[in-house]
Amino acid sequence: MDSVPLRSRNKLHGHGGSQSYVDKDDDKSYSPFASSRPTSLTNRPAKPATPASKQPKTFWTRVGGGIELGRGETRVLAGLTLLGSVVRFWKLGRPGSVVFDEVHFGGFANKYIQSRFFMDVHPPLAKLLITLMAWVSGFQGGSFDFKDIGREYAPEHVPYIAMRMLPATLGLFLIPLTYLTLRALQTRPTTALLGSLFITFENGLITQSRFILLDSPVIFFTALSTFFWIGFSNENEVARDRAGRVGPFSRRWWVWLILTGLALGAVVSCKWTGLFTIATVGVLTIVQLWSLLGDLRVPMPLLARHFAARAICLIAIPVLFYMSMFAIHFAILNNSGEGDGFMSSEFQHTLAGHGMEDTFADVMVGSHITLRHLNTQGGYLHSHPHTYPGGSKQQQITLYPHRDDNNIWAILNTTSNPDIPNPETHSPPTPILDRHTVVLSHVSTNKKLHSHDIRAPITEVDYQNEVSAYGFDGFEGDANDHFQIEIDETTTDVKSGKESRHRVQTLRTKFRLRHILTGCYLFSHKVKLPDWGFEQQEVTCNKNPSKENGLWFIETNTHAALPADAKKVNYRRPGFLAKFLELQAVMWQTNAGLTDRHAYDSRPHSWPTLRRGINFWVKDHRQIYLIGNPFVWWLSTLSVLAYIGIRGLLILRYQRGYKDLNHCEPQVIFYDRLCGFLVLGWFLHYFPFFLMSRQLFLHHYFPALYFAILLSACVFDLVTSFLKPRIRLQLVALTLVVTVWTYWYFSPLAYAGVWTRAQCERAKWGKNWDFSCADFHETVSWCSGRLIDSGADDVARFRPPSTSPRSHRARMSRRSPIRRRAKSPLWSRDASLSERT
Amino acid sequence: MSSATQQDRLLHRKPPPNTPSPAPPFSALPLSARHQDSRLDKRDDDFATAQASSKSTSLLDKGFEDDVKDNPRIEWLFAGLIFLLAAAFRFWRIDHPAGVVFDEVHFGKFASYYIRREFFFDVHPPLAKLLLAFAGWVIGYDGHYEFENIGESYVDNKVPYIGLRVLPAILGSLVPPVVYGIMRESGYPRIVGVLSAALVLIDNAHVTQTRLILLDAPLVLFMSIAFYSYIRFHKLRYSEFTKPWWTWMILTGVFLSLTISCKMVGLFAFCTVGTAVVIDLWNLLDIKRGLTIEHVAKHFAARAFGLIFVPAVVYLFWFWVHFTVLNRSGTGDEFMSPAFQQTLLDSPLTLNAEEIRYYDTIVLQHRGTKAFLHSHVDRYPLKYDDGRISSAGQQVTAYKFNDTNNHWIVEPTKEIPETGRGRVVRQHDIITLRHVMTNTTLLTHDVACPTLATNTEFTTWDGVNEEQEQDTRFKIEIDDAHEGQQWMTKSSHFQLVHVGTRVAMWTHQDPLLPDWAFKQQEVNGNKNLKDKSTFWVVDEIIKDPNVTDRARPPPKEPKKVKSMNFFRKFFELQIAMLQHNAGLTDSHPYASGPINWPFLLAGISFWTGAGELRQQVYMVGNPVSWWLCVVALSVFVGVIGADQLAQRRGMTPIPKATRNRLYNSGGFFMLAWLYHYLPFFSMSRQLFLHHYLPAHLCSALVAGAVFHFIASETINYPISVAGPTTRRRPRQVAEVGKGMVVAVAVIVVALLAGYLFLAPLTYGFPGLDPEQVNRRRILSTWTLHYAK
Repeated sequence: MDSVPLRSRNKLHGHGGSQSYVDKDDDKSYSPFASSRPTSLTNRPAKPATPASKQPKTFWTRVGGGIELGRGETRVLAGLTLLGSVVRFWKLGRPGSVVFDEVHFGGFANKYIQSRFFMDVHPPLAKLLITLMAWVSGFQGGSFDFKDIGREYAPEHVPYIAMRMLPATLGLFLIPLTYLTLRALQTRPTTALLGSLFITFENGLITQSRFILLDSPVIFFTALSTFFWIGFSNENEVARDRAGRVGPFSRRWWVWLILTGLALGAVVSCKWTGLFTIATVGVLTIVQLWSLLGDLRVPMPLLARHFAARAICLIAIPVLFYMSMFAIHFAILNNSGEGDGFMSSEFQHTLAGHGMEDTFADVMVGSHITLRHLNTQGGYLHSHPHTYPGGSKQQQITLYPHRDDNNIWAILNTTSNPDIPNPETHSPPTPILDRHTVVLSHVSTNKKLHSHDIRAPITEVDYQNEVSAYGFDGFEGDANDHFQIEIDETTTDVKSGKESRHRVQTLRTKFRLRHILTGCYLFSHKVKLPDWGFEQQEVTCNKNPSKENGLWFIETNTHAALPADAKKVNYRRPGFLAKFLELQAVMWQTNAGLTDRHAYDSRPHSWPTLRRGINFWVKDHRQIYLIGNPFVWWLSTLSVLAYIGIRGLLILRYQRGYKDLNHCEPQVIFYDRLCGFLVLGWFLHYFPFFLMSRQLFLHHYFPALYFAILLSACVFDLVTSFLKPRIRLQLVALTLVVTVWTYWYFSPLAYAGVWTRAQCERAKWGKNWDFSCADFHETVSWCSGRLIDSGADDVARFRPPSTSPRSHRARMSRRSPIRRRAKSPLWSRDASLSERT
Repeated sequence: MSSATQQDRLLHRKPPPNTPSPAPPFSALPLSARHQDSRLDKRDDDFATAQASSKSTSLLDKGFEDDVKDNPRIEWLFAGLIFLLAAAFRFWRIDHPAGVVFDEVHFGKFASYYIRREFFFDVHPPLAKLLLAFAGWVIGYDGHYEFENIGESYVDNKVPYIGLRVLPAILGSLVPPVVYGIMRESGYPRIVGVLSAALVLIDNAHVTQTRLILLDAPLVLFMSIAFYSYIRFHKLRYSEFTKPWWTWMILTGVFLSLTISCKMVGLFAFCTVGTAVVIDLWNLLDIKRGLTIEHVAKHFAARAFGLIFVPAVVYLFWFWVHFTVLNRSGTGDEFMSPAFQQTLLDSPLTLNAEEIRYYDTIVLQHRGTKAFLHSHVDRYPLKYDDGRISSAGQQVTAYKFNDTNNHWIVEPTKEIPETGRGRVVRQHDIITLRHVMTNTTLLTHDVACPTLATNTEFTTWDGVNEEQEQDTRFKIEIDDAHEGQQWMTKSSHFQLVHVGTRVAMWTHQDPLLPDWAFKQQEVNGNKNLKDKSTFWVVDEIIKDPNVTDRARPPPKEPKKVKSMNFFRKFFELQIAMLQHNAGLTDSHPYASGPINWPFLLAGISFWTGAGELRQQVYMVGNPVSWWLCVVALSVFVGVIGADQLAQRRGMTPIPKATRNRLYNSGGFFMLAWLYHYLPFFSMSRQLFLHHYLPAHLCSALVAGAVFHFIASETINYPISVAGPTTRRRPRQVAEVGKGMVVAVAVIVVALLAGYLFLAPLTYGFPGLDPEQVNRRRILSTWTLHYAK
């Protein structure tokens, strides 16, 4: 401590930051692997540092975070917003029918408003915001089901424009945010302008933000988190002043940090891909703390404070935010709905419409019970007067999810001795204990649960046998009806007394049923029977069951001889935390299960090259096809490649002793940190997709694309940093012209605009760009305003004489109306054409 | 050498002149004396300072040479003893399950096929199976047995199975001595070598897996020898480009290649050594090392030769042997292209392929589902359940059974001559197919098929008019055929591509059509022409008994077997293997996820004997060994983490020499473990406990390193062979205290106890009563039989 120079020691007690401890003139060289210097995104050299006191007090200086906008720049921001709102909002109401995944997300808003429980793989925030917009615009819900792409909104008075307004607005905010982010990264105003205009005219971002989809909120919150984080890092680098108004642990510092945490919470509450943003910020935080740790002049308590502040704001706040979103979610969805089937019985019990009356606690010989499978949500042990088509041809046993009289079984002794009175009315009844052997008799068909050495109906393995219902009047049953109760100690609920481990109690006791003669266990799994079994779940007798799939419990229990005041039980209502955790698990499983192929899904490797887009909507000779602005897109990919290539070269050169990254080249270090940061963001938002086997789409690339576009602006800044300002400006203008032209060229696909087939064919720059040109008219004259508003029936009248290659189909369609209508849209999920018949 | 220490050194030195390459030769560099020292430090990178502990100095140069220099006799004695013990563990009752055990079903069968020389298909490269087949051939097994089901008796089927099991048992017995060798060569004292070897030797999983007809014994052995060779090679780094240097490097390459020739997971061994080599080259590239760029390039080229080229040749060699041995048609034909199949003796393709001529009546069979193209008088319903509408045309389906409704006549769309070769149908000819029974013509059109909105409907049309005529045209696209090649029965795999819409005729089994089409398979037009399941084959030509004078030559003599370029065969098989491997995603009752393995949460039931004997073989590791290894791994991670944090705060809790040994040697073992374990998490195929065996071996090495680190303050040093320019350094010998010996002895006793306790599950002998079984169920997740 004593060896610390006086200058630093003074700071040691006054300041918390790390920068203040590092000597600027330190002759340490800059290693390409681990920087011993604190990671600063801001230390752009050669910037005349104006003392804070002398700076004019503007809004931006009060905000801090390293954003120092010039006077004119506020006007630039306003201009950008204005321009952006034209680009994002233009003809937002077109098309007036359901587009692509509006099927889902519109539908969810509908269910929120009806407060009917549903299950979705995405967290609720973005959907809640969309719902809010719909609710504010007076949407009552229920009248419109968002079922098919192409279904018209207008007849049902759905406030779809208001709902689309939310993603569009967030998409608009992305533009000034980009500008501010780039400025906070200390790039030149022209660069920031270029980057934000790239974002403005990126067709993919435009298309994605114009419809009721979740990606626009995700991208916005990703950008917002990044921005706040940069602001926080900048603030963290500022030396703390006497009054503690700036620098570490100042109020401003806390505000930036907490805002980062909130934005991270928001992004992960929109989609789980927000975890990538958290990972990005997490990596950078670790780097920051690591360099702080390496600074031996920072005492441990201060280090601990730094660590704790970040842990609270970047871990606890996002988690709380995320959980509070689910609290809102549960509060709204309090009625039963189509998502019930995903959840456990206890969970379902918390939803209105799923209530159950209290039922007797003790299961007695002769009780009438319903038996529920514990692990799958298949439902109740069920039988009905239909037989298996194969095997023993005896009556079917299935699992059936709904309440029904066919679920009721009488639980009986193995002996039906005529001397003993009827067990169903005998008083006092005898309880059923562990290891008792019982017979289950199906009440409505008077057959008994039965198993034998015949293979199961669907599962063809030699350790699973068929289970059937067997018996007839006057037949007392045989030993194949005998099942032994084996109470499972680990899953049985003993909160209200340990006796549920010894005697069978409704809801509390979990048990297995072992078939005495063959030693197999009553078992069910997520395998559906075919049509003959009404797609109910298969029940078998498994000699080697996985533990959880062999467990059953009794849900309802009645007995004629039990007094009405006997002990009763009901489901325990899970608390918020239990519900939250259960829903997370179900979301995770469902998400992992989304492995079917989709006509427009794609693998991550195809995204940076914009290999193929997504067909969103086709109708009335117009279409919406998600495709990026190829110029911007490819430029961003090139920038990433250029950075990685140059960085690799620099590392190799370093190893051979060249000092490119020395302090004599501060420019290089500035750009290296800037680009390194953006490439890290790109990488962490892109690479994890390679590890996912679920269905993926082009729009999953957008958060990564955002970073790549920022990078391309920075690379532009680097490349032109050696040029004269005037030539720079000219280059910026040229780049912008190309960007806007490309945007204009592809804009009909984003706005469902008018296009001719020839234009469309010309626009197919990539060989996998499969927008269906056949659906556009031959010439523009066929797309006059009259036609646009008319229904498809009018189209026939405007059909040209049959000269085109298309005429063949046209003639056929006139001759045979069925054929015309049956024409299947090979290119989309669009069912609109058959819909309107 | 971590970057932090590199930087420390950098601080004290003037930067070398910033001249472009080539860097000046070493002697020309203006180096200070301090610099020169540090250069030597750098070259001795894992043991930079010898004066690690004051105690060690007293031991220097006091005749401890033999322990450091590996007195060969004692080492061989130890290795031999370990081998004998390992062999005893494996050979005890090697005859015992006298029936087929678990995957012997596959690998025994493959050995039979090799001996019978019948072509088969498997996802694993051939070496290990060739070895098994070789063992069978040596003992005179004729390959008659098919190894159909687990539990079938070898005695009844007269299979010399003991001879087959001897080979894996011997190879498996060689593994513990190699582990011992690895530890000794890495500079650990004998007692630590014994510990690591014991962790592998006294382990039920290794013993179970390597005394049966399975592939893991050669895999694990070759992997460990590859590591051993690499360590030997690395120790020779001061004698670069000498004969032993080359020898050990090429041996490394060869054994790596043998590993990957057994199973694809050998790739992980490649990655391990590859990473170590890259780090090594990176250090050579360092300017402070003073090597010219040419010199570095020479190093690079040498390694590329020894560790890439040589292994590639060895790998290819085994495939060459594979193709040479398997020259008869067999069960694997179906997986390969027709061109490949024609290289096999007795292939159905070479036997009775016939040319197809126009107006022949043919039966088309779908390759994937083996169903025939079929049509019948029933029509598609006008409206489907989901509201879509069909053409209501005649149904075209695929049907599994032979039926006259499967007969179609090939008709031309061009003028053809009355007789002669002009009537032969050829590649890229455009044909129409007429259904014989209903006299209608096959067509497809822009109408969605019943089950998939993305595929077109196939139907037939009666009374063809001009427009439908266009829809009936199909192009023959034969796989892998040149222009003008004849369309043959059996041997031509072809797509029937619709001329108008460019869809290929396709059929699938999921879902089947509903009752209105009698649950037959749907036939539709698939837009994806690259889909391999769109291939059809003409099963036969229906001869009209009334017509005899057709200008058809009599069926030819069986054709000669064709030859095919080895590389084309190789790549075809390689791609098929990879595809098939990725497709193994069915669930299996004993499959388990990687997270279960180190903790031994799940085993595999290999075999159960007759009910009354209550015998079973359950493949599970020795918990003492496995859990010790897990502890060692976590200690290693903890120590490294704590050391990094401490260094960052300017503290050096570990002496430099010890620290370097821990990072370099322990780090290499840890790297090997990570590479042999983590990639399984990203695999979606079926995984089993035995996939962890190589990783378990690596973790045993880590355990040795960690044990040494904890138990002893000193290390054996230096262990690398001194080169001509190396500065002589005082020797240092690791202290082996009594405590260390006692600790190892205790661990070995515990290992033995655990091993013997589970031995009845390993050897399937003796039978256990339920109470004994339950006692052996150490974790409730082990699914043992006869527990009740």
